[in-house]
Amino acid sequence: MSESDARIEIKSLVVDYGEVRAVDDVSLSVGRGELVTLLGPSGCGKTTTLRSVAGLEDPTGGSIKLNGTTVYSAAERRNTPAEKRGVSMVFQSYAIWPHMTVFDNVAYGLKVRKMPAAEIKSNVMRVLDLVQMTEYADRPSSRLSGGQQQRVAVARAIAFSPDVLLFDEPLSNLDAKLRVSMRVELRELQKDLGITALYVTHDQEEALAISDRVIVMNAGKIEQIGTPEEIYRHPRTLFVADFVGNANVIRGKASGVPASGEVDFTTEGGITLRAVVGHAGAKGDAVALQAAYVDIFPAGRTDVPNAVKGSIHRRMFHGDFIQYVVDWPCGQLLVRRPPTDLFEEGSTVTVSFSAEHCVLL
Amino acid sequence: MSASATTPPAQAGGAVSDTRGPDRRLGRYLVVPGILATIGLLVIYPVFFLITESFNLGDSGVFPPEEMGLDNYRNMIEDVQVLWNTAFVAGIATVMAILFGLLLAWILTRTAIPGRARLERLMELPYYMTPLVGALAWGVLAAPKTGLINQLARVFGATGDVVNIYSPWGIAWVMALFEGTVAFVMISASMKSMDPSMEESARVLGAGKLRVALTVTLPMILPGILSASIFVFAEMLSAFAAAFVLGIPSRFVVVTTAIWQSTSAYPPEYGRAAAMGLCLFVVLAVAIGSARFVLRKGSYATITGKAFRPRPLRLGARAWPMVLTCWAYLAFAVFLPMGALLLTSFQKFATVIVGDMRFTFDNYVSVFHQGAIASALKNSLILGLIVASIGSLLVGVLVWVIFRSRAPGRGLVEYVVMFPQAVPRLVFGLGLLWAWLIIPIPIYGTMWLLGIAYLTVLLPLGVRTLAGVVLQIDKSLEECARVCGASWSHQMRTVTLPLMRPGIVAAWLLIFISSVRELGASLFLMGPHSKVIGPAIVDAWLTASSELSAAMALVQTGVVFIAVIFLLRITRRYSGEPA
Repeated sequence: MSESDARIEIKSLVVDYGEVRAVDDVSLSVGRGELVTLLGPSGCGKTTTLRSVAGLEDPTGGSIKLNGTTVYSAAERRNTPAEKRGVSMVFQSYAIWPHMTVFDNVAYGLKVRKMPAAEIKSNVMRVLDLVQMTEYADRPSSRLSGGQQQRVAVARAIAFSPDVLLFDEPLSNLDAKLRVSMRVELRELQKDLGITALYVTHDQEEALAISDRVIVMNAGKIEQIGTPEEIYRHPRTLFVADFVGNANVIRGKASGVPASGEVDFTTEGGITLRAVVGHAGAKGDAVALQAAYVDIFPAGRTDVPNAVKGSIHRRMFHGDFIQYVVDWPCGQLLVRRPPTDLFEEGSTVTVSFSAEHCVLL
Repeated sequence: MSASATTPPAQAGGAVSDTRGPDRRLGRYLVVPGILATIGLLVIYPVFFLITESFNLGDSGVFPPEEMGLDNYRNMIEDVQVLWNTAFVAGIATVMAILFGLLLAWILTRTAIPGRARLERLMELPYYMTPLVGALAWGVLAAPKTGLINQLARVFGATGDVVNIYSPWGIAWVMALFEGTVAFVMISASMKSMDPSMEESARVLGAGKLRVALTVTLPMILPGILSASIFVFAEMLSAFAAAFVLGIPSRFVVVTTAIWQSTSAYPPEYGRAAAMGLCLFVVLAVAIGSARFVLRKGSYATITGKAFRPRPLRLGARAWPMVLTCWAYLAFAVFLPMGALLLTSFQKFATVIVGDMRFTFDNYVSVFHQGAIASALKNSLILGLIVASIGSLLVGVLVWVIFRSRAPGRGLVEYVVMFPQAVPRLVFGLGLLWAWLIIPIPIYGTMWLLGIAYLTVLLPLGVRTLAGVVLQIDKSLEECARVCGASWSHQMRTVTLPLMRPGIVAAWLLIFISSVRELGASLFLMGPHSKVIGPAIVDAWLTASSELSAAMALVQTGVVFIAVIFLLRITRRYSGEPA
């Protein structure tokens, strides 16, 4: 992505809360129409980064550009106030003003911008229509369900056509079913309107499903940036492997660490696996293997890659998949198979996975 | 929509000015010291005088003192009877009040009795009755010989008096009735904050009802009971009205009435009063501090801050004694006293045999027409309106600075503002008396001084009321307005202030109510041309008649109750809506 195309550009951002460094040298950029997710456990600095973009924090160092305009710069001692940044935000608590109707909530940003009343009305009704809340326009917003408040919050955030939309864990207060369907709706809306969005979540499944790119954060630092597939398939660090998907981490020693290609990896359990070098600079002391990439065959197969003998310790039926715990020379291996792949507990099997899914960390 | 979404509004591109520039920073650094200086002057200055006066052995009207020493403190040992009286009355009154509170809290939060919701609301009533009114009324009800209860008992064949309210037990009884509702509120809060699943899990694990009560329920609510006990005890120590009305006739003196006596003696013993006042203040500060400590240390129950409604016990026919208990409390604390006062206020001569009563409206005519009394009532109302208006405005600013701004030193502001809470009103009034007597500005004996005093002692009440509302306003409601493009002032106008409004109105009403019923601080501060209703009732009782003081007390209570009705309306309207 070229420099001019970046809508959000963060360089070396540092935010301190007293003694604690909440955000530590974070640099990232979000392109036009792109949805980028900050993913990480609570306290990893993702929300603080987002709030710094919104202008709700006093960072310590670095710079933030929106649309090529510097809104924060430690060097220039500049921190443009939130209301002058032209960004919009959906808050985790929705922040629906209880003393206003749904209409007044959504119209707020337009009224602040002194838009004529007729235009406000048509704009509000249009965005309410986008989130299917038209018939609630005159309702006092204190009498809305969680899902409805969520829709109003989104409508309010997009009503004044902001350059950049920020989402702070917008779905975390909804129940599981609604969360999944709202996820789809949000993505549709963002694609249709071509909104540039920075999205914060701690839910890895949500991050993978909704994003163009995912940024995994830990302890104030960025661990890895990549498309959802890259993050899932080729985690670069132990933390990412552990946090994203359901990866088995197998410790051992690589025969060497070339810049790319395949290597032999000797596990602590004493077997040798073929592994792929996902990125330059891997340490070579562990491999990550997503549970979904492992095949299980009846015992005795040898014509498959990385074939290792094991036995089924436990079988758990999840509906969409079956999760097996397999005893194998390196301890226990988590394996996820389609519900059609049935093996009895206690039976001996051969597990197999291709070298490209066995990623050297 | 997609067309407008891709047209970037010029906001981010155009404005790069930093409004958090030096001018606003400067404001931020000036606001807090300004507030601290003002409030500090109002609060600390009188206390400083109190301390000086307590060491003054010479002429108490001269400042700085000509002769200083510890004699005022040493002399208190001679007053050991007074100290013992105080501890005795406060002690038994606390035990009674806590028993009332515990019983009522248990009935109203844990049992299913008919009319529970209404009873719970009515329990607020005693809180708004002043102890002065209660003491006057109980004087009518249970005085030896003429008391209505004793008269009634004689009809049924009793010889002599069955009750005598002019006794230590009588004083404690009246104090306990009015503090009982405070204990009720505190204890039921700790009962409501207990997750019922804690008891349920003990039951499931095989414990019987009694065992659950002893091993789970009691330990959970014990901190609440303990801190309520300490708090109520502290209130009892500094209570004046009941001990004054019911103790002075029988020459039973406690610390607060001793302070009053030494200031109204001739020559006034200000040094003795100040020394006693300071000791009372120290005891109170320690007590309130330890109550908070107990509550914080032991509050397993209040960790979530969530209110639970445990499944109430179904009692069947056994519910009726419970209902009766609640109504009996209300009868003793509110209905009987009000009835007795009403009866007295219409009498020509009070405290006569029921059969010989003569009725008249003269007392009410006096309240509204006799110069001094009418002007006291008018002054109280005017003071209430002005103090409530200025106070609620001030409270709004203070709460915003303390809980919402990022101004340095805001914690200290909270501490200083809440300080008067720890000083007994009577003692604070004493301090203000000298503080403003000595200053060359001639406001002593005027309404100005009363206004300043009310404002100072009532600020903590207002701040506590509004803080409760403000702390419930999610910060993101304000942040969202900023992100939507609103400036700070626009956000304040459209979001923060409308959300704070119910709290500000409640603070206004509570300050108004407390001003109208103020007694402790007013006693020393009113002058001949600035009479207010509370002390005027005391004066009428001392010098004129109990019929007149009954009429005055009823008018005062009426004004308070009208304000209370508005208050309840407002809090109910807003409490229904989730913030």
